[in-house]
Amino acid sequence: MAIVETKGLTKVYGTGETAVTALDAVDLSLDPGEFVAVMGPSGCGKSTLLNLVGGLDTPTSGTVTIDGREISQLSDDEITRLRRERIGFVFQFFNLIPVLSAVENAALPLILDRGGSARAAAKAEEWLERVGLEDRRANRPDQLSGGQQQRVAVARALVTEPALVLADEPTGNLDSKSSEEIATLLRQVSSEWGRAILMVTHDPRIAAHADRIVFMRDGRIVDDTKIAGAESARDAMERVGLL
Amino acid sequence: MSISFTLARRYMAGRKLRTALTTLAIVLGVMLIFGFNGTLPGMMEWMRKSMLASVGEVDLNVQSASSALFDQRVADKVAAVDGVAAATPVLRRNVTLPEKPDYHTTGITVIGIDPVVSPDVRSYPVAEGRMLAASDDDTNARPVAVIPASTAEKMGLAVGDELVVPAASGAMTFEVVGTLDSPVPPATDEVYVSLPLAQDMFAAPGRASAIEAAFEGGADEETVQEAVGDAVGDGYVIGSVTADSTLAAGFEVAGTIFNVLGLFALAMGGFIILNTFRTIVAERRHDIGMLRAIGASRRQILGLFLTESLVQGVLGTGLGLLAGWGFATVTAAGMSELVGDLMRIESFETSFSVSTWVLAITLGMGATVLSAILPAIAASRITPLDAMRPQLGDVYEKAATKRGWVGLALVAIAAGMLLSGNDGLIGLGGLLLLVGMSLGASAAVKPITDFFSRGIELVYRREGALARANLQRNPGRAGVTVSAVMISLALVTGIMTMTAAVVGGYAEYAEKATGTDYLVIPQGLMLSGGMVGAGPEMAEAVRSTEGVGDVATLRYAPAVVGDLTVQVVGIDAEEYAKVASFRYSEGSSDADLAKLADPDMVLANASFRAQTKTAKGDTVEVMTPEGARTFTIAGGGNDYINAKLPTVYVSQEALADLWGVTADVMVLANATEGADKAAVLQSLGATIDGFPSFKLYDALAWQQVQNDLFGQLEIVYYTLAVVLAIPSLLALLNTLAIGVLARTREIGMLRAVGATRRQVKRLVVAESFLLAAVGTAAGLVAGVPLGYVIVRSIGAVGLEFDFVWPTTGLVVTVIVGLLFAVLAAIIPARQAARLDVIRALRYE
Amino acid sequence: MSVRHAILGLLAQQPRHGYELHGAFQAIVGGSLWPLNPAQIYTTLGRLEEAGMVVKTAIRRMGGPDQHIFELTGTGRDELDRWYAEGVHSTHQRDEVFLKIALALADERADAGSIVRVQRATLYRDLHELTTRRNDVQVLAQALLLDKAIMHIEADLRWLEMVEARLHEMRRLPATDIPPPRRGRPPRTAPERGGAQTRQPEENRKGTPTWQS
Ligand SMILES: Nc1ncnc2c1ncn2[C@@H]1O[C@H](COP(=O)(O)OP(=O)(O)O)[C@@H](O)[C@H]1O
Ligand SMILES: [Mg+2]
Repeated sequence: MAIVETKGLTKVYGTGETAVTALDAVDLSLDPGEFVAVMGPSGCGKSTLLNLVGGLDTPTSGTVTIDGREISQLSDDEITRLRRERIGFVFQFFNLIPVLSAVENAALPLILDRGGSARAAAKAEEWLERVGLEDRRANRPDQLSGGQQQRVAVARALVTEPALVLADEPTGNLDSKSSEEIATLLRQVSSEWGRAILMVTHDPRIAAHADRIVFMRDGRIVDDTKIAGAESARDAMERVGLL
Repeated sequence: MSISFTLARRYMAGRKLRTALTTLAIVLGVMLIFGFNGTLPGMMEWMRKSMLASVGEVDLNVQSASSALFDQRVADKVAAVDGVAAATPVLRRNVTLPEKPDYHTTGITVIGIDPVVSPDVRSYPVAEGRMLAASDDDTNARPVAVIPASTAEKMGLAVGDELVVPAASGAMTFEVVGTLDSPVPPATDEVYVSLPLAQDMFAAPGRASAIEAAFEGGADEETVQEAVGDAVGDGYVIGSVTADSTLAAGFEVAGTIFNVLGLFALAMGGFIILNTFRTIVAERRHDIGMLRAIGASRRQILGLFLTESLVQGVLGTGLGLLAGWGFATVTAAGMSELVGDLMRIESFETSFSVSTWVLAITLGMGATVLSAILPAIAASRITPLDAMRPQLGDVYEKAATKRGWVGLALVAIAAGMLLSGNDGLIGLGGLLLLVGMSLGASAAVKPITDFFSRGIELVYRREGALARANLQRNPGRAGVTVSAVMISLALVTGIMTMTAAVVGGYAEYAEKATGTDYLVIPQGLMLSGGMVGAGPEMAEAVRSTEGVGDVATLRYAPAVVGDLTVQVVGIDAEEYAKVASFRYSEGSSDADLAKLADPDMVLANASFRAQTKTAKGDTVEVMTPEGARTFTIAGGGNDYINAKLPTVYVSQEALADLWGVTADVMVLANATEGADKAAVLQSLGATIDGFPSFKLYDALAWQQVQNDLFGQLEIVYYTLAVVLAIPSLLALLNTLAIGVLARTREIGMLRAVGATRRQVKRLVVAESFLLAAVGTAAGLVAGVPLGYVIVRSIGAVGLEFDFVWPTTGLVVTVIVGLLFAVLAAIIPARQAARLDVIRALRYE
Repeated sequence: MSVRHAILGLLAQQPRHGYELHGAFQAIVGGSLWPLNPAQIYTTLGRLEEAGMVVKTAIRRMGGPDQHIFELTGTGRDELDRWYAEGVHSTHQRDEVFLKIALALADERADAGSIVRVQRATLYRDLHELTTRRNDVQVLAQALLLDKAIMHIEADLRWLEMVEARLHEMRRLPATDIPPPRRGRPPRTAPERGGAQTRQPEENRKGTPTWQS
């Protein structure tokens, strides 16, 4: 069964003359553990799609089903719970609370869930280790590089062991080396730790880490391609003229 | 520790200056409330103790309710009651001693006792010499007195020495025949004389100030006390000794003022906290949105901010309590020092009752948390999506404009009310004006700053323009600050206006009073309780002095109307009209003064009429030592000296009949036409030397004294006004500091593109000046009507003054406003100038 | 293709057997990345020998057939030096995908849009594959080769995006009017990420209705 499924998902901002259809009848589904990249020009509705899937915003029409539960039926508190327990978020900016250390930031969702803070810290440290930041656990965000900050954000997104991770341009703010590291990390999140990922990106090299790419234009999905495990490198080499 | 506390602590620690300023706002209010309420009970307790000590071991004490003198034969009624072993009249009066260097005291209580009966009621342990005896009653013999050993020591007297005490008929010289070991109330020095002698001294023959009685062994105290009450009838207070009511009232008024000051400071603190938290919420918008996205509920966000306000409240209140304790301790020490010279006290104790703790903590915490609630709710409404959006400035702007219109409407309504002439409406109008102007403040920021910044831009063009743009960019925050400054300075202006009116009014009265050439008045200015009067000799002596023409005397007794203690002033209508000028209320004239010949007629001053809600032609029931009497108000008028207290004027015959008072407390005299005034003054001076508790003034000297007095009064008021404005200084400081923090990046950028430290400093100072200018302008506009409201309202309680345009007050207000602008700018300007460019640019 | 020069270069290091040459080549480009047939090596060696650029010496081995060792001659060395000294021209203007699209535009039965999408999917698959390999490769030389491939794919993807955005303009031009593509396109170096691919067409839209710019 799909972990996320949208049906006819539509979002219209504003009314009358100034109405903008940011998302137009989008059908999309993600299998558990699937890594999907969303690409498309600026303003085509990628963030809107992500926000609706994450229950951060409410659709004008259409449905979002997560784990078999349709989220438009849920109250604000229930959606909040769902986000806390089943979804991890990684944003482009403002990911971390500046006054908390790396491990505290990573533990936040558990702490918000009233988890015992010792247990929360232990889990957070475990995840920090997995993202390769065990020696930075006590540092505050301003003492971390952009890439390290995003890794803390990934650790935080995973600490509740969610089924789905939503990432809106997680590398938009990083240099290419750090971007590559984060993309590799996300790849690992999907293949090794089995989380489904829906990631918005502009960067083909980042998108190339995904299993599938969804191309959007003007609020619609125009193409949806599986890119993992299809062709040999030889074919690729030939096509780019190295052979 | 919970995440909320962790976050609150870390966020606050990350913004030390802002946290300190916000904390200070609460500290001030809590300190005043806690400190004063901690001092007041100590003072009251101390006073009560002194009173109790003065009663000593007396079982029962009977006094007239008005503390007026009464017939000493009441003692017989008391003595006749079952269960009373003995009862004796006592005449207790405070006198001001002529200044004599070796006396070390300025006041002494003369206590007239019956040497025969009194020792049955109270013990007089003799230390040296002897106790008074029956033979000492003889008024023709050489007067003798007995004094407590402590008084003897303080005044440097020993048995056999002479003690000069002012009396109605001039000074009286006593021989000290004994000293007593009896405990003396800490406040006073005492001298015991025989009752007839005392009555003679104070021109109160046959009268007593109290009856002291002792119970029979085994008698039930309450039953006896009740029986005594029945025996003496209405108009007497039995048992307890009422504290000296004027002093107690003084303390209570001071207490109220401090509490109001404290509340005001807290309200300002609330303003500051509101300001701070609004900024905090805006600043952490992204953090909040992110928290919401990763699963924090609205309630958790609300909790986060309330926790922070709680931490802030605990911090501020805790420090406030500490500061309050310090304040109380210092005050108590100061008071002990101050009063210790006059009265013998060991020390003032500060005492913090449970209710004081509860009051201070509740108000401190309450003000903090309440002020944080609105911003906290706003924070809980932030959606996760807001985290990713830039701030929406124009929404803010629209709301401010709407509020501006509401404010304008309120100001218009208030103006209508102020002009209505109706006291109630005027009061309400004053309040509405402040509310309206506060609401309108944020909308008015732009046009007013546009106007004022022109001045600054003349001198510093770039800094001025930038400062203006900064303020206009955040009209909400600027509006709150302007409101705080405005309300403070409106109060300053209001108080100044009131001061101008009151001082001006009294000066006018004083001038009228000095239509008289000479005044002979007691050392203390007011006619009050224990003041010694003078017998007819003094007026006679004045009259017979060469060059003196018309002479009028004033006599005084206390009385009670309903719950109100009033003064009864006895005048001779005919004499009085010749010498003094009354300031008649509308509809009254000299003809009404003449009506006092009828003993049932009185004149009433404005304060009396206002507080008893009576008018010319009404009747009032006045409690006299002879029981309740009904008088008709023949007319209304004020004389200068008694204008502050509710006073009725009666004929001197009526005063003698009903109150048994024949002593003069004030003599007014005019020189004969063509007499050499200076010469007359000199000979009058010689005459008055025989009456050491009185002082002689000529018109000029009198006016001088009054002016000095008002000068002091003005200074007190002005100081009060400036103190009132201090919280607004904090508000200003807070806003500037927040502004500097919020624009750290921008300032860094300015520095990077070549702004000098000095220019950055100027920028902040310019902003401060603009804020203060807007606040001050608004404060002046609101303050003058507020002053008008205050003058009207004190007029409504009987102190009629004309509204005077408070020029000095306005100047002082402007100076205070500008001074604050500079003071408030110092710290933030230095901070801004010191910013490390690189770090500032990296600042998020 | 410069297998020729690769052999000259390898022989410049030391004289080698034919199969030794094959192994050395594989070691440089990384095994499966650039597979080379041993037969291809022997054919090339033959041609080089004819041209006098290499000489063959036979070595007798005990108990086995004779083996040939190839050695670089002076002419061979000259040719290698010339190769090092010359630049390599880009060949991207001879592009198959371009031809497909250009022809499909004039062919009623073909769909240029679909060609673009298929091509993009194909490129992304390649990119995915190469990216995955790139993460496993240990030898720096091979990693650099992979990086080059990845960058070229990126550039192709950007070009495709641009083409897709302007397909409708191309449709409006008659097939016969389509002039041959000029040199220098697609761009030789990849522009910065998020750069020209969206902005450029928009600017041109205001100008002449031609898809070349
Ligand atoms: N809150 C909003 N109000 C009005 N329009 C919005 C809002 N959020 C997004 N839009 C519009 O919706 C469209 C899609 O936006 P978005 O999903 O953010 O695009 P992107 O693909 O760049 O993430 C854009 O045209 C944007 O202007
Ligand atoms: Mg977006």
